[in-house]
Amino acid sequence: MPFQYLSIMAQNSAPKPPRVLAAPSAPAWCPVTKPLNEMRVALLSSAALRLTDQEPFIPRADLSYRRVPSNPGSGTIIIDHHSGIGTVPKQDPEIVFPRAALAALAENRTIGAAAPFHYSFMGGVRQHEEIENKLAPALAGELTQADVDLALLVPY
Amino acid sequence: MIEGRGIATLVIGTAHDIMSKVVPPRAAFVDHPVGRTFGPPRERSRHQAILHRALAELEKFTSGGEIRDLGCRWLPGGNREWETALRAEMLHDR
Repeated sequence: MPFQYLSIMAQNSAPKPPRVLAAPSAPAWCPVTKPLNEMRVALLSSAALRLTDQEPFIPRADLSYRRVPSNPGSGTIIIDHHSGIGTVPKQDPEIVFPRAALAALAENRTIGAAAPFHYSFMGGVRQHEEIENKLAPALAGELTQADVDLALLVPY
Repeated sequence: MIEGRGIATLVIGTAHDIMSKVVPPRAAFVDHPVGRTFGPPRERSRHQAILHRALAELEKFTSGGEIRDLGCRWLPGGNREWETALRAEMLHDR
């Protein structure tokens, strides 16, 4: 049986009420129309990742995002997320943000290409309306502008 | 919202119970501790293998809301001793 996260998250939230998990009445669905080796792929991470020279995220309530170059040689990744599970991923952000792995799969033509930028934002923020009305459309706009075919979302 | 713009999405996550509740269009489950989705630090070949396995599932999804188990286990033989340490780690996260 998979590990049960929700009960622990509820304990951690107390005395605040547990987080509300919103599910759509029907999941959105965009058919895959290209073979994987022709797709341009971007990563989306809720780990509040950035390069060292980018503006830091403000823990817990930041609704901004960062463009992180997909080239693994472009700089060191910092994780700003406040979660206590961060001690291990901060040793090697690749375990939650597989930028080098995706670049390698582009190199060997498993995917068509990595998009020029990946994107990261602060997970665990409770301002659901702002996320839905501002952050999510902004990220969707970035992906559209970059001609991304596939977005890989890696929750933190 | 992203799928609505004609961009397919795939969630690659470790929290099966959360993915079951939020119903993403496509989800690939990795049975690892949260925060270690692609494996232990610096094991590059394992990271790449898990990402490759997730991508290979893409064309198998036929409708929204499906969660596919990638069959990735944190410890050999599916040993679940890691759960005790993770529970303690998370309960410090207040």
